[in-house]
Amino acid sequence: MIAKFLLAIGLAVLMVVSGTTSYIYLSTRQSKAVAAPQKPTITPRAKQVTLPGTIYLVQSGALYSFSVGRFHQLTPEAGWTMPALYPDGSQLLAVKRSAFYSDVYVLSRFGNVTGTLTNNQAAPRNRWDPGANAWSFYPRLSSDQRTLFMSYDGPKTAGDANFNVVMQVWGVPIGAAIRQGRSWTTANDYTGGDMQPLPLPAGGIIYTKYSYDSNGNRVGQLWFTNRAGSFGKALTPQAASCAQPSLSPDALNIAMICTYGKQVSYLTIATWNGSTLGPLQTVISDQLVAQPIWAPDGSGIAYLAPGGPAAPFQLWWLPKARYAPPAPSPVPVPTPTPGGPLNAPLPTPSPVAVPTPQVVKPVQITTNLGFDATSPLAWLG
Amino acid sequence: MPLGFKPGHRARASRGRLSPFRTLTIALLAIALSATAGGFAYFIPAAVTAWNATAQVVNVPSPSPATILFSPSPSPSQAPQSEGAFTVLLLGSDDDSKFFADHVLTQSMILVRVVPATKEVTMLSIPRDLYVQGYGKIDGAYSYGGAGAAIAVVQQNFRVHVDDYIWVGLLGLIKVIDAIGGIDVVTTNPVLDDYYPSDVYGGSPYETQRVAVLAGPQHLDGLHAMEYVRSRHGDLQSDFGRSKRQQQVLMAIRQKAKQLAPGDIPALAAAIGGELKTSIGLDRVARLIPLAASFDNPDSIRQIVLVPPYTHGGGPDGSITPNWSLILPLVHQYFP
Repeated sequence: MIAKFLLAIGLAVLMVVSGTTSYIYLSTRQSKAVAAPQKPTITPRAKQVTLPGTIYLVQSGALYSFSVGRFHQLTPEAGWTMPALYPDGSQLLAVKRSAFYSDVYVLSRFGNVTGTLTNNQAAPRNRWDPGANAWSFYPRLSSDQRTLFMSYDGPKTAGDANFNVVMQVWGVPIGAAIRQGRSWTTANDYTGGDMQPLPLPAGGIIYTKYSYDSNGNRVGQLWFTNRAGSFGKALTPQAASCAQPSLSPDALNIAMICTYGKQVSYLTIATWNGSTLGPLQTVISDQLVAQPIWAPDGSGIAYLAPGGPAAPFQLWWLPKARYAPPAPSPVPVPTPTPGGPLNAPLPTPSPVAVPTPQVVKPVQITTNLGFDATSPLAWLG
Repeated sequence: MPLGFKPGHRARASRGRLSPFRTLTIALLAIALSATAGGFAYFIPAAVTAWNATAQVVNVPSPSPATILFSPSPSPSQAPQSEGAFTVLLLGSDDDSKFFADHVLTQSMILVRVVPATKEVTMLSIPRDLYVQGYGKIDGAYSYGGAGAAIAVVQQNFRVHVDDYIWVGLLGLIKVIDAIGGIDVVTTNPVLDDYYPSDVYGGSPYETQRVAVLAGPQHLDGLHAMEYVRSRHGDLQSDFGRSKRQQQVLMAIRQKAKQLAPGDIPALAAAIGGELKTSIGLDRVARLIPLAASFDNPDSIRQIVLVPPYTHGGGPDGSITPNWSLILPLVHQYFP
């Protein structure tokens, strides 16, 4: 009798354990696709690649630095985005985004706020209308560090209350009030406007202008303008729909992404002679590439792209050999032997195996971190 | 005979003690049963949600005297069509506190035709402000008569047969995208809106908020995906531009759904709870999931938006006037 009782107890325990285990096992069988990204505090997988210098990037509203294979969180998760370095590398610019407005801040390279360059918060026009606030996005400094360039939809007046939110590229003297700044571009209405200014060392800016093509689709184009208020000129065709320009350290190449109006994104580079771009060269066409940035030493391009199908964006590295392969070594050509018999056939060269060019693949630096792909990367050499 | 030993005692003791084989068999049975029960417990909430959301029976008002009972699938399409082809009407509504339950406008109406044999999908976005007889703007049909009225008005005006419908609420889309871990989308341009309705998590459904969804490839969570597909004030094409974005997001959801595992179903069902209704039966849903996964060529998905000259503005009460002489041949071509 006792044995049966013990058996019943044992079976009951066994069933509870078995049922619970089954439930827990199934709950652990969720796909990795739905798993939330981790915080970038771990050492990335690709230990064989050590990127030079320090990269600044963003996850969940916090700025991180990535140096010698390790991440360091610089700010709390409080709407921080779009880091950009001072040209001398001494400080950082970054945007702090709130619900209705965003401002440009100056931070030390370790994330301490040292100043504010804009003041975009405004009282609501009425209870239903927060449109008097303004956005500042994509801040960059001119090479002399005297002018702040940014995409900006202000300043606002009471008569501005309409549906057309116009982001234009503004240039504002550092530390000056916005009224001392000037709009460098004239954006197309109802397009999203002009974004991502890239100040050039020789003066002028390259930026992304959004417009409608002949089919009514909205497309991005790289434009160049060399002074405030000038019309400027398009650098890329509408059909390529390019955006997110990045200048190489030698200022001779531009990296960008082009989507060709589809749900794809190609890493594209082109030569730059100071006023025009060379032919567009697609470097990567099988990833959803975002925010390319050149390594300060010219050894490659870092960018963000999903770690898998429909997954959050990770940090990737493309060595220079992929887009600028070294010139092949010359194949030896047989020469007639001096003093050889006249009219004799030339010696047939022994077949030389021509080395197959090795395809250099992008290297995935992080695996499950999920970076903000709308925020440009900054890279300090 | 030893003292205290009675004849038959050993036999009874032997009968009362279980043999090792029987004990093992019972234990294995118990493990199998309880493991199965644990599995059921895991999937029961999802099954209940699916049961409640699917196989909705709706009454489709018809111009003919007899009312057609619109029943769950499988329902053969009346139009001549390819083997197994079917047409679904996708409806999306902002079901916030501005509206009474089930009396909401459909901000999004997309006719989807699926041809399994050729793995072709056609999505036709119907402008929500399209003028139709009886309702004015077509988005009011669902508000007045539920899914049945929405289906009827589409069938009568577009001369198509709708096999099934799927309705998703505002929060439903947000929760579904969050439940599948977000989606990857290439936003074609910055979507900026100073008068976006603050009705999802805001204090009053009549308040507005500022929205800025930046351009480029990105991973969107549910809230930002909703902002991307719902905003229209900053778009010269207004509802047409929004329709294009809605189709982009639908395709991104489909792409992400291919990565999911059965273990994700309960979380997904919990997200959907009360925010999704469909006339498609549970058995058919089970058959459609692998079918959807097999559609892996994005070029086989045709996207149609009824921009001018198919429609033009200036209709009554701000509605959009349809040019049926252009629309109907187009619809007939892709929704035979």
